[in-house]
Amino acid sequence: MNRKLVENLLRTEDSDPGCEASFARLDQYVEAIIQGHDGTALFPDIAMHLQNCDACREDTEGLLEVLRKNIAADQ
Amino acid sequence: MDPDSVAWITALRSESTTRHGSESRLHRLLMRVAYAEAQRRAPLLPRHTIAEFDDLCTQAADDALLAILGKMDDFQGLSRFTTWASKFVILEISSRLRRSAWRDRRIEWDDAEWERLEESAPGVEQRVEQREQVAILRLAMARDLTERQRQVLTAAVVDEIPIDVLAQRMDTSRGAIYKILHDARVKLRASLMPGQGAIHSPETGRAL
Repeated sequence: MNRKLVENLLRTEDSDPGCEASFARLDQYVEAIIQGHDGTALFPDIAMHLQNCDACREDTEGLLEVLRKNIAADQ
Repeated sequence: MDPDSVAWITALRSESTTRHGSESRLHRLLMRVAYAEAQRRAPLLPRHTIAEFDDLCTQAADDALLAILGKMDDFQGLSRFTTWASKFVILEISSRLRRSAWRDRRIEWDDAEWERLEESAPGVEQRVEQREQVAILRLAMARDLTERQRQVLTAAVVDEIPIDVLAQRMDTSRGAIYKILHDARVKLRASLMPGQGAIHSPETGRAL
């Protein structure tokens, strides 16, 4: 059996806060990472959600890239 | 709150001319972020979506600006204002890119992919085993999940359709689709992994 498929069918955590609650503090999570902090230790619930939600994880990678490249800097 | 964020908030809450200028400046910032995100995702996008970048980025920046202006009271200064604002346009552009990429693809709310999966193992013995394993999963889904949960779980996991696309086709939000997936997975785990150990058939006790 395709192990990844089975894991994807079953992977979840009871305390996953979901997309909206994670989005509400995503800006704080990415700034913590950019400042060199351990995002998972500071925001374990968001980190857990990002492990389970591909869409939010990809968005977070994009937001991190924006900060790393200073794309949102005032011009 | 950092000085730059205070300046943004003050300008966006000021009277007419200053506010309009600040909104235009914020819109330009959102456009830059939207384009950067679209370019980052470009290698995985179909040509027709790349051809729509200008429109998609403009729509994303427009909608993000409205969302930001409507939620200004939520901003508490716990991050920089530009980071807080950028997350809105990232959400808008990523959803639009996924939906555009899937625009011409039909979603079949059926079990075709499960049936293909049953036959996908390479050898005869593996195929027999795979059929049995797929049957265990489908039985648990049929017995323990609602029709909507089955549809969403199959579409998202077996057919690998992005949840933003499912949200659009089902006229709901990403968060609502994720909640359906979460609830379905919790039920399936309880059914197939009652002790949180290996996965077993609830009918025969056989390990999956």
